Amino acid sequence: MIFQVIHRTTFTYTQPVAISHHVLRLTPRSHPRQHSLHSTLVIDPAPSVRSESTDYFGNPLTHLTIQTPHPELIVEAKNLVDVVKPAPVQLDQSPPWDQVAHQLQGPTDAAVLDAQSYMYDSPYITIDDETYEFALPCFPPGRPLLAGVMDLTSRIYRDFTYEGGVTDVSTPVKDVLAAQKGVCQDFAHLEIAALRSLGLPARYISGYLLTHPPEGQEKLVGADASHAWLSTWCPSIGWVDFDPTNNLIPGNEHITLAWGRDYGDVSPINGFMVGGGQHTLEVSVDVSPAPHPALI
Amino acid sequence: MSHPTASPSPELPEFFPRSNPMYQPRPDTFDELIAPDGSVRPHWQAFLKDFSALDEKQRRHAHETAIRLLKDDGVTYLAEKNGQQTDRPWQLDLFPLLISQEEWQQLETGLIQRARLLNHILSDLYGPQQLLKNGALPPAVVFGNHQFLQPCHGVPVAQGTYLHFLAFDVARAPDGKWWVLRDRTEAPTGAGFALENRIIVSRSLPDLFDDTHVQRLSSFFQSFNEHFLEFSQRDDPLAVVLSPGPQNAAYFEHAYLSRYLGYPVVEGSDMTVRDDRLFLKTVDGLKPVDLVLRRIYSDLCDPLELITESSLGIPGLLQSVRAGHVTMANALGSGLVDSEVLLSFLPALCQFFFSEGLHIPSVATWWCGQPKEREYVIENLHRLLIRQVLTPKHGLTHGRLSSFGPDLTNQDKDALTQAITRRSHEYVGREIVSPSTTPFWTEQDTLRPAPMTLRVYVTATKDGYTVMPGGLARVSVRSDPRGHWHEPGDFSKDTWVKGNKALDVQPAIVPPHHTLQLRRGGRDLPSRTADNLFWLGRYAERAEGAIRLLRSLFSRMSGEADLGDDPQTLQRLVSLLVMQEHLSPRRAKRAVAGGGDAVEAELRTILFDPDSPDGLAKIIQNVRRTAELVRHRLSLDTWNILVELGSIPKEWAQTKGQSIDDAIRLLSRMIQHLAALNGMVMENMTRSYAWRFIEMGRRLERVRHLSKLIRHLATRGTPESTGALNLLLELADGSITYRTRYKAEAKLPAVLDLLLADETNPRSVIFQFLTVEAHLTTLPKEENSASLHPAQQITTRICTDIRLADMIQLTEFKKKSKVRANLDHLLKQLDQGVLQISDIVAHTYFSHSMVQRISGPQWLEGIP
Repeated sequence: MIFQVIHRTTFTYTQPVAISHHVLRLTPRSHPRQHSLHSTLVIDPAPSVRSESTDYFGNPLTHLTIQTPHPELIVEAKNLVDVVKPAPVQLDQSPPWDQVAHQLQGPTDAAVLDAQSYMYDSPYITIDDETYEFALPCFPPGRPLLAGVMDLTSRIYRDFTYEGGVTDVSTPVKDVLAAQKGVCQDFAHLEIAALRSLGLPARYISGYLLTHPPEGQEKLVGADASHAWLSTWCPSIGWVDFDPTNNLIPGNEHITLAWGRDYGDVSPINGFMVGGGQHTLEVSVDVSPAPHPALI
Repeated sequence: MSHPTASPSPELPEFFPRSNPMYQPRPDTFDELIAPDGSVRPHWQAFLKDFSALDEKQRRHAHETAIRLLKDDGVTYLAEKNGQQTDRPWQLDLFPLLISQEEWQQLETGLIQRARLLNHILSDLYGPQQLLKNGALPPAVVFGNHQFLQPCHGVPVAQGTYLHFLAFDVARAPDGKWWVLRDRTEAPTGAGFALENRIIVSRSLPDLFDDTHVQRLSSFFQSFNEHFLEFSQRDDPLAVVLSPGPQNAAYFEHAYLSRYLGYPVVEGSDMTVRDDRLFLKTVDGLKPVDLVLRRIYSDLCDPLELITESSLGIPGLLQSVRAGHVTMANALGSGLVDSEVLLSFLPALCQFFFSEGLHIPSVATWWCGQPKEREYVIENLHRLLIRQVLTPKHGLTHGRLSSFGPDLTNQDKDALTQAITRRSHEYVGREIVSPSTTPFWTEQDTLRPAPMTLRVYVTATKDGYTVMPGGLARVSVRSDPRGHWHEPGDFSKDTWVKGNKALDVQPAIVPPHHTLQLRRGGRDLPSRTADNLFWLGRYAERAEGAIRLLRSLFSRMSGEADLGDDPQTLQRLVSLLVMQEHLSPRRAKRAVAGGGDAVEAELRTILFDPDSPDGLAKIIQNVRRTAELVRHRLSLDTWNILVELGSIPKEWAQTKGQSIDDAIRLLSRMIQHLAALNGMVMENMTRSYAWRFIEMGRRLERVRHLSKLIRHLATRGTPESTGALNLLLELADGSITYRTRYKAEAKLPAVLDLLLADETNPRSVIFQFLTVEAHLTTLPKEENSASLHPAQQITTRICTDIRLADMIQLTEFKKKSKVRANLDHLLKQLDQGVLQISDIVAHTYFSHSMVQRISGPQWLEGIP
């Protein structure tokens, strides 16, 4: 399925910003199920320095320096992405989780090396006894790995309340665990922490989700938002995505922007400025099925 | 030295330690001085003979010299004490550690091999990661280590030199072999202290030092410097020492290295990145920086790509490194190979890279990330040192955990076993070793064996890695008699590596404050330093004003000038204190009502009252604080004056009785110190930008103070008859000039002329503005601005106003007003002028404004 995603961010400053540096991860990466067909990134005012590269995790990355005083900054990313539905996964056919965890402890080969870089603590995700205890009920010895992960995904969906404004990026996983509240990023972090405490690899995915308006209503333009979910690794199958916020295995309505160990590795816009005073932020995201590539 | 030992006999050199019942090496450890058969090891014999020949007086003299030098050089490190940071004196044991030349060469060879090895490992892990792909290193060692910085992967590193400056903590096993306890690859501290130790010990025991033929340290730093500068692509490179700032425990060393190498010491916010280039913000605009000697952790260096919460770094730094414009020493991410997890893999890695064995082994360490090793550690908890070494960072801090096996209770062991089982890759078990002992020269003037470790420094040079011939030896005296770890309070030692006599022709080491700065030091005055110098000038002047005022008041309370209880006089005196904010209006009112004695009592309490927000103690504190920030720019003598000045409030607190005369005496001494400070500034500082900023601060503050005094003492009433005018003259240091000039009672117009408009009076208002103006003309201006500096427009306007003012008119009252309106108006203009000039100077030259984070769409309240 082909989507058009328009992600527009406007920063407004109370005083002109003398100089600002930004790192953007707003260009969807390609992967076996996803192809970036067309991508534009428009910055206003035009940056003095702009360079494109790929980060350690393989995500497209844009560095900007804006050196002219500016009271406002607009970043608009327009992308055309083709997403393919994953092949159905037989959860119960996956290998026992404890066997996978054991295998990942031992000597490695190049194939699992990638998975192993997502097994340990990362700046925003700390595993501890609580995350271990939280994960354990879903993983009795010998249970097929993916069945356990789906169970954990459903448990988070069932037991946790989706509520904005109670957490932010600095909220530790254990606080989310205690409050049983949060947003998609928190749920992704929590499930990642739970899996890692069992010695399983899990990575954080930032992206978008196609939303459907309530029946009979027009879809509002710009009312979509960024989304976050996670992926875990299973021998012979590879990475499998899970979305604890929606209790499902993402199909072709989840568009991947970037992945990393946690939010910190993939935040869509990071920036520092000199001057500028206070700033306000306006974000609009619009995800829509694209009519036809030729028409855009 | 309260219990001197019997004078040892010089004929029997080995007599001294053996006769001393305290010096008894433990049989199960290696002693540096005494061989197992009880004889003195050969490389110590000559030294010990000389040392034994020192009589008690000479020994005491050596200690006194050392204490004086330590104080003079202000050698301190910051230590945490009861939650507050305090300056602690550096603890140095004068008795050096001696190492023979042959033994040192072995150590050198081993450490050079190790430095090369660690550099190879870094270039692999930040590059092709062959070691992970071929299984030579388990992934947890890298991916589980928060010092592996993903954004630094693939960043080009000039000549593949990740490690420019590293250190190794080594100790000696009971069989006499050396092991490495820790590799220090991030930003090892202590080399500056090692240098300082050398200077102090060689000056305290000069004859011993000369006769021992000790290898010199200076060429080590020269080689580092020469090689490092070559990494710049420009002919005239700018290198800086990047420090976390004066709050850091090792700031003394940062400033020390800065002086020694001639690199300015800067903080992250002193720099900015533009066009992928790193720049230093100086009063002369932005200067490109080529080389950074990093004294902060890698992950704090660039908040844009590394730890976002860091306020110590420079956003965009990593991009400028990628662009090849900046070389970091050490390369960002170098801390990765610092980890003890790596220790057990080094022998295999050494074979892998060099096809040879590791010359110097590491202390036996088992990493629990491997099943067999984990089992071993859990079974042997009681006889190992257990360390949690891959603890993740939580924000900016991380706690490491060390458990000393023999001290663990069964409960501790169970908890530890569970922790190791669950998070095995984070733990190592380390063999508990008894390091060698070496003589420690105690306060009782005896020698006793104390466990020691040695930190040895290695630097990259054009001929490969070179080892500093010496190092920072540390003896555990207080923290842990078993010598397993060091804490503040332990003693350091100079390490003497014996050389050939021929080596003595090498230039001796020169203390950094006496070295000629070969790089152009005056060119790059960082904005922050300029700011601090400006405020040093302002605070020093503010202190002087406050001291003069208090001294005048005290002298009016004593002797013949006793004020008695006349409420009007008391009121005027006390109101001056209120004006200076030494006293709240309410307390002032109460004191006046209480009469002369009550006022006197108030004066005594507020004199150095630390709680008074604008009191003298506070001002003196501010002087000291700002001086500390620019200590690397001040001469030693200047610094010592400031130290003396700062010690006076303490002296007052210790004065018995606290009589008025005591107060006057102390205040007069403070004025002398300040005069000495001004003298140092005027006579000893080069007319650099640094000097101009101190001067401008001082001049502007003087106007502010003078204007306050005139407003308070002369804008109302009849100051001639109340004595206010005499007081004004006295406070403005104009009494003598006035008396010699007019030989008459003070008259207001004449006093105003002297204090406002007399261009020959160095304390007049116009003199201050003219001086400021002269400084402004020499300071760099923005390009393309041909017109006057905006601050100069203000000085010019004020000087004209003063020159045109009619002194008689200034004294006149208008209509029924009780205030001399013309005078009052002029004073207001002066105050405003000072404020405006201050603002303009700050805006133009002190632009080290902090960067702030633009919080992007972080935690979206997205649609589920």
